[in-house]
Amino acid sequence: MNPRRSLRLVPLLLLAGGMAVWAVPGSAAVLAPPAHRVLAPAAAQATPAPTGTCDPTASLRPAGPPRVTPGSFMAKIRARGYLIAGVDQSTYHFGYLNPMDGRLEGFDIDMVHAIAKAIFGNPNKVEFKAISDDQRIPEVRSGAVDIVAHTMTINCARLKQIDFSTVYFDAGQRVLVEKNSPVTSIAGLGGRRVCATTGSTSIANIKAAPSHPIPVAVPYWTDCLVLLQQGDVAAISTDDSILAGLVAQDPWTKIVGPRFSNEPYGLAISQQHTDFVRFVNAVLQRMRTDGQWAASYAHWVGTPVPAPPPAHYLS
Amino acid sequence: MTAVGNPPKRGTVPAARRGPRQALRATGTPGKLRLLLIGLVVLSLAWGVVAAWVVSQRASGASDVVGTSEPLSLDGHQIYRALSDADATEASAFLAGGLEPLALRHRYLADITQAASDLESATAAAGHSPAAQNLATLSARLPTYAGEVETARAENRLGLPLGAAYLREASGLNRGTLLPAARDVSAQADRQLSAASGRATGLPLALVLLVIAIVVGYVLFRAQRWLFRHTHRTLNPGLLVASVAGVVSVLWLVIALGVVRADLLNAQAHGSAPVAALARADIAALRAHADESLTLIDAQGDDSFQADFLTVQHELGPGPGTLLTAAVTAARGTPGAGSAAAAAKTATAWYAAHRAVRSLDDNGKHIKAIRLATTPGPDHSGALFARLDGSLARAIAADQAVFQSNAVAGRDAFTGLEAGVIVLALIMVAGCARGLSKRLAEYR
Repeated sequence: MNPRRSLRLVPLLLLAGGMAVWAVPGSAAVLAPPAHRVLAPAAAQATPAPTGTCDPTASLRPAGPPRVTPGSFMAKIRARGYLIAGVDQSTYHFGYLNPMDGRLEGFDIDMVHAIAKAIFGNPNKVEFKAISDDQRIPEVRSGAVDIVAHTMTINCARLKQIDFSTVYFDAGQRVLVEKNSPVTSIAGLGGRRVCATTGSTSIANIKAAPSHPIPVAVPYWTDCLVLLQQGDVAAISTDDSILAGLVAQDPWTKIVGPRFSNEPYGLAISQQHTDFVRFVNAVLQRMRTDGQWAASYAHWVGTPVPAPPPAHYLS
Repeated sequence: MTAVGNPPKRGTVPAARRGPRQALRATGTPGKLRLLLIGLVVLSLAWGVVAAWVVSQRASGASDVVGTSEPLSLDGHQIYRALSDADATEASAFLAGGLEPLALRHRYLADITQAASDLESATAAAGHSPAAQNLATLSARLPTYAGEVETARAENRLGLPLGAAYLREASGLNRGTLLPAARDVSAQADRQLSAASGRATGLPLALVLLVIAIVVGYVLFRAQRWLFRHTHRTLNPGLLVASVAGVVSVLWLVIALGVVRADLLNAQAHGSAPVAALARADIAALRAHADESLTLIDAQGDDSFQADFLTVQHELGPGPGTLLTAAVTAARGTPGAGSAAAAAKTATAWYAAHRAVRSLDDNGKHIKAIRLATTPGPDHSGALFARLDGSLARAIAADQAVFQSNAVAGRDAFTGLEAGVIVLALIMVAGCARGLSKRLAEYR
């Protein structure tokens, strides 16, 4: 394993940037309704219906199997010696730091290793950079990371700023409450405090919910679970994939209500690197067919394993 | 006495129109003796009351300095150190990955024990001082902090990322609430210390006392001269005793107040003033150290911790107008001078090591940067900070000892003084009364 991997990551565990804004419960920084800086009106709808100009789940068609062509962005990454990936460090089973050995693991992380393997022949040639939800787009746009694998919903508002791969996971937003809560869906949370991360589509969906819950924004999903356990929020609402990871950490919680949004996950890449988007789509396509996607799903999400989300390409 | 409506008798002036001197002149010797007796008794009592009051004011100032403000300031600083170290230690324990190293666990527990014990003694010393509010905050939130750290450990031991979230929460509580409260305790205690020290050493009250002493002495002297002229007795034993008692109380007061003033000013100049300056520098250094770790931990492209480090470095110095230079100046000529100067030198070396850490980290050599910041080594930034912190702690301990011995000596110089001046004033009253009533009796 590349030593960079764990070493870059281990410290991220702590405090990260969240600390600067993280204050004690009750302080304005944590509990104030979230700033809406990321929430353009279009983003408030998780998956707007495809319009004439935007079909969110359609990505660039790969040119055959993954291949590092000279002069491509992949060749630059290979010359650098490692892929730089922006990932989550606190979302159990998708991207989280395993405290047992200080390594990042999860379904998202598997995707990154597969891409590194396609470039280098070695899945561990990766420098992971743990980022929070609201840093995903800026990190991709600035070129600080080559790719973001971070339970990230593809939508039209985001497509204006960054490119996405084809869909590699289908999620939908639901509600998590404590086992003894009478709440059965988002409709029952009017006027109650509901937690999600800053810069996520989930917080926008909470805000847009007809029952008018009070959105509470924090840096990481585990921060939401801390607030729920301390009684500072009545519920957490986000993708069922993420909620399942929270239930796994606290058996005194349950997921309730139907999916009230569709959250197709894509890997985020700069719009300047369309060759890399095609390359990643080729890797994903191979994973869909050679059983690697299913193996990773079975390991991190569980069985039965559904069919992988089909690739949908721009014409 | 004045019969309004009755015509005044020829040759007499209505009493209301007479001045005291005329009244005195018009009164016969027994009347004058009676007046003198009353005047001297009142003056002696006034002297006793004022002298005792001044002494009690100064004694309470001195005992406030020794028993409240200085210990409180020191406790506030110790609490800050312990909590800051607890935060850094837990961060390192999680940084290590895998099973938490036992040495770090012990160090964290020692920090919490230290903070709790200092908090208890500070609360006992504080009473109703302004620091009480901050101490209450510390008492209320310290268990919350410790609880969150334990929850973080429990989750961590289960292999769940939730542990990191609890640690973030705990660290935010420590840095956002506990550390500022501890810093404010020290700042409030320092202000209280200068007020109490001023009360124990200030000049105005002593001048009032001096004026009263001169008046009493003058009246006693004039009374004895007048008695000598009118009664042709060479000495009045009662008044003599009163005079001696007066002189003794004045001498005792002058010597005690002088000694206390010298002791307390010395305690301040060579004790509490350098200690406060050194503690301020130490708190700034602890904060910069935390910034350094957090910059390493934070990989989100946010340079706010590094920006804060540079701000604190600028405040800490050494250099004109900086905390370290102020501390070195304040400690000049004290036992802590050597350690303070060493601290200033180490700070410069630490900044150089910090720049090396940043340059490594900024150039993608994160692993080497962490090693330089956390492992022991002559030019490693973590080790240099530990040396800086150690030098400041030694300087603080040395000057604190100076303060303690001087301030205690000063406070003890007041022993028995308050009771003494009261007893001496009563002796003056008794002397005057006895001396004059004997003369009065001769007119009956």
